[in-house]
Amino acid sequence: MAEVRTADTASTTAPERPGKTGQAGPAKPAAKRSLKDYRSEVKPTWCPGCGDFGVLAALQRALAERNLDPKDVVIVSGIGCSGRLPEFVNAYGLHVVHGRALPAAQGVKAANPELTVIAVGGDGDGFAIGGGHVPHAVRRNQDITYIVMDNQVYGLTKGQPSPSTPTGMQALRRSVSMPKMAPYEGVLEGQLNILAMVIVYGCSFVARTFSSQATEMAKTIGRGLDHPGFAFVHAMSPCPTFYNTYDPWKESFMPLPDEWDTSDRIKAIDMAMEEVGDGVFHSGVFFQDVYRTYTDKLQDVYAKAYGDEQATIDALMDQYA
Amino acid sequence: MDQLDLTIRIAGENGEGVLTVGDVLAEALARSGLYIYTFKNLPAEIKGGASMTQVRVQDTPVRSPGDALDILMVWNQENYDIHVGEVKPTGVVIYDPDECDADESLALTQIGVPLQTITKTVIKTMKSKNVLAFGILTACLGIPFDSAKQMVAESRWGRRKEFLESNINALKQAYIYVDDNDIDLGLRVPVNQRNGHAQLIMTGNDALCMGALAAGCRYYAGYPITPASDVMETLAKAMPRVGGVLMQTEDEIAAITASIGASFTGAKVMTATAGPGLSLMVEALGLATMEEIPLVVVDVMRGGPSTGMPTKTEQSDLNLAIHGAHGEAPRIVIAATNTEDCFYTAVKAFNLAEKYQTPVILLSDQHLSQRAQVMSRPDLSQVEVVERKQPDGNGSVSPQEFDRYEMTDDYISPMPLPGRHGQHYVATGLEHDEHAHIDYSPEAHIRMTEKRHQKIESAVNEPGFVQRYGAEDAQLGLIGWGSSEGPILEALDRTLAKGYKVAALIFKMLHPLPEKEARAFIESIPVVSVVELNASGQFANYLQGRLAVSLKRFNIITGLPFKAGEIEEYIEGVLQYG
Repeated sequence: MAEVRTADTASTTAPERPGKTGQAGPAKPAAKRSLKDYRSEVKPTWCPGCGDFGVLAALQRALAERNLDPKDVVIVSGIGCSGRLPEFVNAYGLHVVHGRALPAAQGVKAANPELTVIAVGGDGDGFAIGGGHVPHAVRRNQDITYIVMDNQVYGLTKGQPSPSTPTGMQALRRSVSMPKMAPYEGVLEGQLNILAMVIVYGCSFVARTFSSQATEMAKTIGRGLDHPGFAFVHAMSPCPTFYNTYDPWKESFMPLPDEWDTSDRIKAIDMAMEEVGDGVFHSGVFFQDVYRTYTDKLQDVYAKAYGDEQATIDALMDQYA
Repeated sequence: MDQLDLTIRIAGENGEGVLTVGDVLAEALARSGLYIYTFKNLPAEIKGGASMTQVRVQDTPVRSPGDALDILMVWNQENYDIHVGEVKPTGVVIYDPDECDADESLALTQIGVPLQTITKTVIKTMKSKNVLAFGILTACLGIPFDSAKQMVAESRWGRRKEFLESNINALKQAYIYVDDNDIDLGLRVPVNQRNGHAQLIMTGNDALCMGALAAGCRYYAGYPITPASDVMETLAKAMPRVGGVLMQTEDEIAAITASIGASFTGAKVMTATAGPGLSLMVEALGLATMEEIPLVVVDVMRGGPSTGMPTKTEQSDLNLAIHGAHGEAPRIVIAATNTEDCFYTAVKAFNLAEKYQTPVILLSDQHLSQRAQVMSRPDLSQVEVVERKQPDGNGSVSPQEFDRYEMTDDYISPMPLPGRHGQHYVATGLEHDEHAHIDYSPEAHIRMTEKRHQKIESAVNEPGFVQRYGAEDAQLGLIGWGSSEGPILEALDRTLAKGYKVAALIFKMLHPLPEKEARAFIESIPVVSVVELNASGQFANYLQGRLAVSLKRFNIITGLPFKAGEIEEYIEGVLQYG
C-alpha cells in the first residue's frame, strides 16, 4: 500500500536536497562490471547493419569502463529507431514522446543530480520536432550526456528527409539505395549543421564520432560521460535500409588535426562550417570547456536561501499572516 | 445590528494605482479581523485601459464577489460611465469632480472629492494619490484616523521609511477633507487589532502553492502564462528555502516532460498553466498515464478559445481536461472551490497522483486564482500526505524478475526509483506488459487498458469530493463544480430563507465521475440545472452522456465570475415560471 504521513514530517521519496553530495547511490561494489552487465534481456529490433548497434555497444563499453551501477543510470529517449536504445540497456530507462528526450532528462537530473543521465535520439527527434529544446538544455548546462545518432533520414517512418539530410535530390541519388523521398523528388530545404549549431549555442562539450569506429566511439562517449556539464556527442550512425551512407562516410571521416585546441570555440565553429564544403567529417572532441553546472549554481541559491536550515512550510505561510 | 456586508469598488486607468488601493484596503480590513473577498477586472495590457478592483467585506466568511455596489470610487469619466450603473439605489459614488461630470439625474448619493487636485496642490507627490484615495475610503467607512495610520504603516506604503512620512501626510489630508466637508456615510466598520497568525490572507494561487509544498512538492517546471504565472513566482521564492527545484522551461511541452522526468526519480512534481499551455501538454499527459507516473498539472482556466481573454475567468477547459488525449488515457480531474480549498485540494491532488500513480489535473480559474480571501491557517499535523508505493527495500528481487506493472488487486503496482531500487526498468509510452516490455499483443493491450481504467475509476471512492446542500425535499436542484460553489451556496441560502425549496450538489471531482451521488441527486429532484461559466454546458453534457438524463442549464460567458444575485434570480425565475 501507499504510505501515509502528515504534512509536518519528512517525505520518503526524493532526495531531501538535490545535489547534496552523498545522498543517493551507495558505494560501488568492488566487482568490476563488463559490457555484458549492461545488456538487457531485450534483443535490439534494429535492421541488420544499423549503425545504432555500434552506438549501443560503445555506450555499454563506456558504462562498463566506469563501472557504473545500473540502478544509478537513467537513459532517456524520444521516438525513432534510436529512441529504442534504452530498452536494450540494463539500466533505468525513460522512453518519452517524440522530440522531448532532453526536457525529460533535465527533469531526471534536476530531481536527483546523483544519477548518471544520458539522453539519446535521432536527428529528427533532436533537431526537427525537438529542436527547440536543444539550446535550452545547453543553457542549463546540467551534467547530462546527449548522444544524437544521426543517419540523416527518418528511418522508422521509412525514409523521409530529416533536418540533416543533404539538400537536393542529386546528393541523395549519388548515395546507394535511396528510395523516393517524401514529399517531393528531392529535398528543397537546406541541411542543418547540427554540430556548428550546438557549438554556437554555447555547449560546454561538443564531439563527433562514427558508429563504424567502435573503440573511438566508446572513448568519445566516455569523455562525454566524464565531462561535468552538458555534453553533446554527434554519433554518425548510418541507416543501411533507407539511406546507406556507409561507403561515403568511411571515406569522408577523418580525425581532427593533431594538436587540436579544444578550448578555442571560434576555431571549432570554423571547422564545423568548413568541413561541409570540404565533404569531410571530423571525429573527436571539437570543443570542451568547464562551466559551472545548473546543480552547482543551485547550491549557491540554497546557501543564500537557507544555509543549512530549511524553512518549514509553516514559516513560509507567515508571509500571508 | 445587521450583518456587515459592504461591496466597495475602485476604478481608474490601468497602471494608475487603483489596484494597489484595493489590495491595501483588503489586507487592512482582513488584518482587522474582518473577512474579505476581492475581485479584479483588468485588461491584458500592462498600461492603459479601464481597470477596477473590488473588495467585499463581511464579519463572516465571504463566498462571492458581491452584487450591486455600496461604494463606488472612480478616478475618471470613462470609469464613472462604465460602473455607475452597478451602484445600489442606497449606494454612494465618490468621484473626482475635476476629472469627470456626475450624472445629476441619478438618484444616488454622489460625493465629489478632487483627488487629483488635492494630490497636486496639497500633497505635492503624485505617487501618494492612491494613499489619499485609501484615506477617503477608510474615513467614509468610519475607521478612526489612528487605525488607518496603522494600516498604512503595516502596508506596502509603510515598507520604506523615506516614503512613510509623505504617505501618512496624504492619509491625513484625506481625513481633513472628509472632516471639512462633513462627509459622513453613517458607516462604522469595526476594526480590531490583528488577530495574530491564525488567519491568512491569500489568493487562490498562493494557497495552492502552499498546499503543494505541504504535500511534498519539490520540483516545479513551468512556462509563464496568465493567470498561472503567480504560481511559478510564488514557488520561485519558496522552493530554494525548502531545498526544491524550480525550472522555468522553454515551453509547456518541456515543462510537463521535465516534470515527468523528475517524478520518474521519485520527486513530487507540479506544473501550472492555462488553457493554451494545457493544449500543448496533452500528448505528454497521455505519456504519464501510459507510464503510470504521478504528476500534478494545474490549469488556471481563462476565457478561450485560442488566446481568448487571458485576464478573464471561465470554466471552459473541462472537456480538454477530461477528454483531451489521443487514444484512451484516463486521468483524475479535480477542481478547487475557494481560496482555502485551493490549499487542501492541492494536497489532495498530490495524494491522488502519488497513490494512483497518475497525472492529476487540478482546475482553478482566473477569478479563483487571483482574488484574495481570508482563511484559517492550516494545521499541518492534521494534513495527511500520501507517499507512492515502492518495492520492498531488501532488493532481493532482480530486475529480470521484477514486474513494474504487476497486476495487483487495486491495479496499483510498486514503482522502483532510480538511485534507490535495484529493480531498474524502462518506462515507455509504447504498450507494454507487466514487466514493462513492449508488447502489442491483444492480450497485453486488453490487460493494460483495464489496469489503467480500473485504477482511475477506483478513485471515485475517495471521500470529500462531492457535497450536497440545501432542502431535502427540493423542487429545484443546482449542480455546480469548482469555483462557482461560493455564489451557488450564497444564492441557495438567500432563496431558502425566502422559503424556496432548493438544493445544490457541488463537485470537486470531475473525473472519475461520482456517478452514484449525481444520479441520486438528479433522480430525487423534479428539476435539476447545471450552473457553469461556459457556453455549451460542458459539465451538463458530460453528465447527460454518462447518466442518460435531461438537465437544465444556467450558463454565463461574460468573462466574469457568477454573482450570487444572478443565481438567486435564476432560482426564483425557474421556480416561479418553470
